[in-house]
Amino acid sequence: MDERIVMVDSGTGLALTERQLDERSAAASILLRRRGVRPGDTVLICLSVGPALLVVTDAVIAVGGIACPVPAELDEARLRERIRDSSARVMITDLRAAVRAAEESRVRMVLGAADLGRHGDALRQSGHGEPRTSGNWPRV
Amino acid sequence: MPDLPRHNLPVEPNRFVGRERDIDELCRLLGRARVVTLCGVGGIGKTRLALQVAAKGGPRCPEGVWLIELARITRPELVIEEIARVLGVRQEGGRPLLDTLVARLRGGGPCLLLLDNCEHLVDECADVAAALVASCRQLAILATSREPLRIASELVWRVPPLDLPEGGGSDAESVRLFLERATAAGTRLGQESLPDVVRLCRALDGLPLALELAAARTSLLSPAQIADRIDDRFSLLTTGERTAPARQRTLLAAVQWSHDLLSAKEQVLLRRLSVFAGPFDLGLTERVCAVPPIAEPEIVDLLGGLIHKSLVLYDEGRGHYWLLETIRRFAAERLAEAAEREAVRERHLSVLCELQERHFAVEVAEAGLPWPHRLAALIRSRSLLDDLRAALDWAVESGNVPLGLRLCFNSTGLLPVSGNPMEIVGCLERLLSRDLTRVSEEQLAQARGCLAYGLEARDELSRSLDHAFQSLVGLRDPFQRCVMHSLLTMVLLRTGRADEALGHAEQGLALATATGDAWNQAAGLAGLSAVALTRGRLREAQRHGEQALARAREHGHRWMMARGATQLGAVAEARGDLVTAWDHYETAIAWLRELAGGVELCGTVELARSLARGGRVAAMLGEFAAARERLAASLELSRRTGQRQGVARCLVGLSVLAEAEGDLDGAVLAAAAAAALRESIGQRFATGRIEELLGRARAKLGEGRTTSLWSRGRSMCPDEAARLVLEGVRPAAPAGAAVTEPVRRSPLTAREHEVAALLTRGLSNRAIAGELVISPATVARHIANIMEKLGYTSRAQIAVWAAEHPAPSA
Repeated sequence: MDERIVMVDSGTGLALTERQLDERSAAASILLRRRGVRPGDTVLICLSVGPALLVVTDAVIAVGGIACPVPAELDEARLRERIRDSSARVMITDLRAAVRAAEESRVRMVLGAADLGRHGDALRQSGHGEPRTSGNWPRV
Repeated sequence: MPDLPRHNLPVEPNRFVGRERDIDELCRLLGRARVVTLCGVGGIGKTRLALQVAAKGGPRCPEGVWLIELARITRPELVIEEIARVLGVRQEGGRPLLDTLVARLRGGGPCLLLLDNCEHLVDECADVAAALVASCRQLAILATSREPLRIASELVWRVPPLDLPEGGGSDAESVRLFLERATAAGTRLGQESLPDVVRLCRALDGLPLALELAAARTSLLSPAQIADRIDDRFSLLTTGERTAPARQRTLLAAVQWSHDLLSAKEQVLLRRLSVFAGPFDLGLTERVCAVPPIAEPEIVDLLGGLIHKSLVLYDEGRGHYWLLETIRRFAAERLAEAAEREAVRERHLSVLCELQERHFAVEVAEAGLPWPHRLAALIRSRSLLDDLRAALDWAVESGNVPLGLRLCFNSTGLLPVSGNPMEIVGCLERLLSRDLTRVSEEQLAQARGCLAYGLEARDELSRSLDHAFQSLVGLRDPFQRCVMHSLLTMVLLRTGRADEALGHAEQGLALATATGDAWNQAAGLAGLSAVALTRGRLREAQRHGEQALARAREHGHRWMMARGATQLGAVAEARGDLVTAWDHYETAIAWLRELAGGVELCGTVELARSLARGGRVAAMLGEFAAARERLAASLELSRRTGQRQGVARCLVGLSVLAEAEGDLDGAVLAAAAAAALRESIGQRFATGRIEELLGRARAKLGEGRTTSLWSRGRSMCPDEAARLVLEGVRPAAPAGAAVTEPVRRSPLTAREHEVAALLTRGLSNRAIAGELVISPATVARHIANIMEKLGYTSRAQIAVWAAEHPAPSA
């Protein structure tokens, strides 16, 4: 595969290649499915601009969801409003203010970008991610 | 044997409304995350949702679905005890309870624990949950809590309120719930009231508990009136924190509103009900709560009124009442506000004390009562366990040590016969750490006696002896002196001091005979028989054993009768009369089954032991089918109660059975597994039979084969070794044919196959899109679908799969 660069992080100067984007968003998409995101579901994304935002947005679209980005710069009251007004069941954010703002909303799950695939290694998941073989709980 | 239950989920008091997708989604999540915590404010419906999920997930859990109601637990150390109690796991002597619990949960298949209301013990719950899921791979935990547990394996799931109506529709969850409960309350609401119902649902923010409380009032107030009044309530809301989250304030306003509409006496009763730790029945309520201004005859009607208003719930099947945790807390605050907390809790303690004294007397101490009376007292006494704990907490908190100690002596539910010895020892130690100036010498002696009892069950024999000896010095009550003599007989025998044991058995018997106490006569005689057996005096052992059984029959308690029969079985075995031994063991089994069938988990260790002995003797008599049945039942009982010593005993029995059937391989394997298990729990055991068995095996099977069987058996898990003999299942040979996979149709669509094939060439989504003339987003979607179908988590895995599974030719 060619090593085409699709994004450069203006802060760190780190580049995201096309291969990395494809891999990471694919890995993130399957985790979204496993967390119950269905086609047509709105997913709030409150991440600062950077590779994670692109990966997550692609992943949401790949599972048939509707990506609903919320600017990370908003103050907590505005965040609260936006989150409350959405019908999203899932929000993806790393911002503490956004996690707080999701209280009193109808968001069921708040996932961190890290939960959807660790930076630099799309195969390994941290936090809530689990390898396929984990547990012997019968699969649904 | 009665089938062991696979869940303890309560019958829900009314129909569950809404949240269909949430339930479905949570069931799936529980298959993937090890710990799922349902978070949210009180009254939002965490418990009801969790119960729905648990009930739906239940059939997939052969090891059961177990609800652990933590609201009734006040101290962190009781979290593990409560889990163990619900699962029927008993503490093993000298081993931490968590260890036993892990061993029990690790052994079985998938199991779900529902830890309900964790918030007040969140740190302990987090530790216990983390420890359990770390060691038990097939265990999943569903927790409900106002805050997350904050452990690594946790998935936090925030419970939202019910859906609110978008326009004026009646299909929103909140409206459906309100209408359902209003109908249940006997109110018919027509279309014309729908706009007000919608307004009310919005005002109550879709909070289920608030909606239920409001719906319960529709017989007197219209939805419009309720909506207006609750609006007023918001502005009047002064209790609680003004800064609390909006939902919490809404709920408090609704509860407060509903409470303020109660009659004065209903308010008094509601707040007093908060002293009950778990469910309560009418009798207990009358005894504890009938203090002015409430008279005893009024209680039935007042309770009925509270049920009608949805503040108290009633379980018709079991005939008991309970409060939702949110309501109980609210009521407890009102109780404190009214300055009644001390008085009512004190009354709760003394009423429990009287009740338990009565139950103990009927079950054990009083002469000449028929067995059904005794059994009923035992059952009633056990049902008070939650309240017992709450009362003991109050005795410690208020420093009422005398009453607390009295409660301990009379609560067989706390004693090692069915509970966890740790608990009674812990209770007594907490009480004894308080100011003891009001405690009499006699009571201190009683406390020591009780402590000795608990310590014996924990295998702390020398401490147990110390306390028992000191107790006897100060003890005057003849019944309790007899119990101490019996305990000493047992502990002294266990420590190899048969002469001293004899003395105590004789003293106990003499005293019991003088007072006409059948229970202790039986115990003393059984002790004398055991001493004689130890000394090899079989005829004497037989005579005392027969007398013990006769006295026990006179008393009628199945536990003591079984003890006599078991003793006679052991004596018969010692003189080589296997037929008689088997007969006695069978008799003991029948009595103990009767007991365990009436009172959950009562005498299970004794039952498991009798079954194992009966099974072994039956095997030696050539009664293979009966032996198999007894040993299997014993094994299951020991496994479920977490008693590894019991499991080892069964393995030895199975080894005897296998050899009797001519299966030397199985005999060696089972014996080896038993030896390894005993070593792992530090239990010492005689190796005589093993040596003989190995000698016979070497002669028949050869040195090499015997050694290899022995080492294979040692590395087997106990269940596997047991199955081998029970079902005659040989472990699969390590070599052998590869499992042929049935030819199946590919799960992928033609387009997905194309995408997968292109992935093997290492193409990017964009390049694949170019090849197939579709958009990159569509490629990404195909890839997500493929991963889901194949259960993969990366593109690379698909590429490998596609290389091995070329597309079916069209």
